[in-house]
Amino acid sequence: MARALGLALVVAAVLAFPLSVGPYPVKLVQEILIWGIFAMSLDLLMGYAGMVSFGHSAFFGIGAYTAALLLPKWPGLLSALGAPALAAALGALAIGFFSIRVGGVYFIMLTLAFSQMFFALTFQNAFLGAEDGITSVPRPLVFGVRISSLGAFHLYLITIVGAAALLLHRIVRSPFGHVLRGIHDNEERMQAVGYPVGRYKLLAFVIAGTVAGVAGSLYTQFVGSISPDAFLWTTSGEALLMVIIGGTGTLNGAWLGAAAFILLQSLVSSYTERWMLILGLTFVLFVLFAPGGIVGALRGRVGVRS
Amino acid sequence: MKAVTRRTFLGGAAATAVGVAGGPWVLRAHAQSGPLKVGLVLPYTGAYAVLGESITQGMELVFARENWTVAGRKIEMIKEDDEMKPPVGIRKTEKLIDSDKVDILTGPVHSGILLGMRDKVHASKTILIVSNAGADDISRAKCSKWIFRTSFSNWQPNWPMGPWVAKHVSKEVFVTAPNYQAGKDQLGAFKESFLASGGRVIGEDYPKLGETDYAPYLTKIKQSGAKAVYAFFSGTDAVGFVRQFDEFGLKQSVKLTGAGFLVEPDVLPAQGKAALGIISGHFYTPLLDNPTNVRFVKDFREKFGGKMPDGFACQGYDTAESIVRAVKATNGNTQDKEKLVAVLEKTEFESPRGQFRFDPKTHNVIQPYIYVREVKEVAGGLNNVPIDKVADVKDPGTGCTLPA
Amino acid sequence: MGREPGRARLPPSDRVPVVSDVFAQALNGLAYGVLLFLLSVGLTLIFGMLDIVNLAHGSYYMLGAYAGVTVLMMTESFWLALVVAPVAVGVVGAVVERLCLRPLYRRGPLDQVLLTFGLIYLFEDLVKWIWGGRIRSIPAPALLTTSVNVLGATVPSYRVFVIVFGLAVAVALWLLVEKTRLGAVIRAGVFDSEMAAGMGIPIDRVFTGVFAFGAGLAGLSGVIAGPIQSAAPSIGATILIPALIVVVVGGLGSLKGSLVGSLIIGQAETFGKAWLPGASMLMIYAVMALILMLRPQGLFGRPLK
Repeated sequence: MARALGLALVVAAVLAFPLSVGPYPVKLVQEILIWGIFAMSLDLLMGYAGMVSFGHSAFFGIGAYTAALLLPKWPGLLSALGAPALAAALGALAIGFFSIRVGGVYFIMLTLAFSQMFFALTFQNAFLGAEDGITSVPRPLVFGVRISSLGAFHLYLITIVGAAALLLHRIVRSPFGHVLRGIHDNEERMQAVGYPVGRYKLLAFVIAGTVAGVAGSLYTQFVGSISPDAFLWTTSGEALLMVIIGGTGTLNGAWLGAAAFILLQSLVSSYTERWMLILGLTFVLFVLFAPGGIVGALRGRVGVRS
Repeated sequence: MKAVTRRTFLGGAAATAVGVAGGPWVLRAHAQSGPLKVGLVLPYTGAYAVLGESITQGMELVFARENWTVAGRKIEMIKEDDEMKPPVGIRKTEKLIDSDKVDILTGPVHSGILLGMRDKVHASKTILIVSNAGADDISRAKCSKWIFRTSFSNWQPNWPMGPWVAKHVSKEVFVTAPNYQAGKDQLGAFKESFLASGGRVIGEDYPKLGETDYAPYLTKIKQSGAKAVYAFFSGTDAVGFVRQFDEFGLKQSVKLTGAGFLVEPDVLPAQGKAALGIISGHFYTPLLDNPTNVRFVKDFREKFGGKMPDGFACQGYDTAESIVRAVKATNGNTQDKEKLVAVLEKTEFESPRGQFRFDPKTHNVIQPYIYVREVKEVAGGLNNVPIDKVADVKDPGTGCTLPA
Repeated sequence: MGREPGRARLPPSDRVPVVSDVFAQALNGLAYGVLLFLLSVGLTLIFGMLDIVNLAHGSYYMLGAYAGVTVLMMTESFWLALVVAPVAVGVVGAVVERLCLRPLYRRGPLDQVLLTFGLIYLFEDLVKWIWGGRIRSIPAPALLTTSVNVLGATVPSYRVFVIVFGLAVAVALWLLVEKTRLGAVIRAGVFDSEMAAGMGIPIDRVFTGVFAFGAGLAGLSGVIAGPIQSAAPSIGATILIPALIVVVVGGLGSLKGSLVGSLIIGQAETFGKAWLPGASMLMIYAVMALILMLRPQGLFGRPLK
């Protein structure tokens, strides 16, 4: 009951936002929501399945480019959500199949390599817009209505992002989620007990990749364009930053991490040129002293029942 | 009893934080007849920050001369760092347009950011004066009546070099640029006019962007027997290529020519003597002897601690000058955008680069001259000395359908 | 009308690649390979000893280049820079290891990798703060600014120096690790740190030393590469990928692998640029991915558990 109330509070605040302030803060919030769900999908991988991936941006990019290519010609929800999700899922299946076999630092480097391959491909491909990417992507038509207005897109975004977040929460609490956590804790034991560990990890990888693809597609719809930068390993790194600052293994920490990163990048950069130093320092301090992220710190501080 | 769960607390905290953060923006959006707000979307961090700085300094020089007032309105420059990243650049553009409600927008350096912001600018009828990005498209298929450009199109510095190189250097040239669209576009303009002047391209190579070792390419150039090279590189690529070109002893047998960016002041100090003798095409060099430039160089160096202005500073100067003249002509009225556009189209003044005007057909600057310059040692160090010039270089604007 | 852009032309077809042409490129490949070796050996050493993939490796390379710039500005001596820069960067490495990495040893390698990622941002901005954003040059020493003729091919003498110097470093490292007592100590510590500690070896200090040494090697490569590449705040990030690829191919943790891997890649990349241009960007990542998929331990690395 209290939980539902809390959730309602948050949703109401986010919904009411466009009515109270100008368009720019609203757009910041929208961007936070998009990066937040992207980071949350990474948290599923990192915090629950224990797989640190530097290639998560590959699926973000696949979803983003799929939407960018399809929306101008077929502006429906299939192009906006269906196709990008499917493309990202297939990509995750392929990349995951090869990457899951190795673990630890090799997994990190292999996912990094795949992500960079996509970057190289799109950067030099004229059909995909080369280094400038694809621009002038229209907003999709939802039930026949083009969601160009700020309020309409806000509603649309919250619905999709909310659904994705709910899905991730459900997965984590499901038996599947428990097995994942078991694998994270002690993979050999789970293997010995008889779980097909590889398949569980692959499924987690595909789910995370699919949500990342949806996030990418939403990003294209939000901005109206996409460039190869989306595929850079440093983009994956930024998502990692968000997960860690928010709190690994908390799912909701992703919102906070995304907010912290974007506000640092946009707000702080208006006041000081040293924002990158602050970001790096913050990240290092979090890894060293607050491994639970903001959420972890809050849990300790507020002292409420868990 | 309702226990205050973690989630409630976090949700409330988040909502409050976001609300508090949003506050300042609500207060910022004040009425139009106040200060003249000029927005700058430029890189102030990262490898290209030096360009952002130069452009800004050129603008500040003009605004300071006007005592930061025009037509009774105080001039307010709002600088936003785009980090050379399209997501950030687009976000900052939205901030400047939606939140700060700038009267005039300027920038960016990165063509990708320019193309990403183009639709937003066009749809919101915000006047954008492009102070660097050279994407040809903005003066062609993607032109907009609200967008003007004071810098250059990628085509402009390269096209006049074709006939010049064919006539004065060699009819057999090896061309090279980094392997990305902008690089190929720059070379494309050169090749078109070079071939039309009877030249022959005897070799072409596109090293990857950010290449560190040009040895294999330089060996190939040597083996091709070419007497001349036409190159487009910028930033660290330009430094690496020029220095290694010298390191491999190619300067003895091959003449290095290229687009001006190969030897601009952001890279010339690092290139040092390796750059001597390089011939390049650009609309500016601080050694121009027209009175406006002489004064510009003097004032710039005085204001900015002896720093020598470059093409980027000139772009900033011309941007600010256009703004000042346009706003004066409309008596400070920036609400009537149509009138501002009409006035801007007729802009004409003496710029450090020569007589400045916009092409009403494309809203792109008509380069009064593209100077052919050679790197020489002059008083004060290495600099680009003008040795020839091509007048009135206008971008062809193919595919641009602006009302003339 | 014109040739379409993007299609690079090979040298005119009536010129068959002559032996001296190939030899010239092979020398280029050797110089580049040795440079890659100097660049990557620190990374592989740190992984081999400490099980850390130091993502901030490029930052130490960059710091070395900038330290070189400063020494050159003050003394105009390239040779002095060659000595001072690695030491300075080594000190920085030691500080980083002591303050940031040692507390994380209990927590496992992934946390350490993540921390080094954050350091990338930190170092890049620090460098910009201290030295400004302009590109700075490291000129080659006056002795080495000419070209020499090697069996018909003209090679810049600086590149010859790089080859000789790099190979000398390789030999010195091998001797150090395989033949000295210090090397034995380090190898013992790597093999079984608890046992080594139990035998009285100050493992903590050994680890700090190794990390500092690896960072110092990266710094050294920054100075050596300086006359070829110059110093800019962006070089740290761009150099990381080539270094990673070399250690992946050679095998994480293997000194021999680092040398062999970098020489192979040096040749492959050089001839790739000469004969198959346009493919280089994608190819290197594809190679990296293939190796990680088919033989993750590379040529000489430890087999995976």
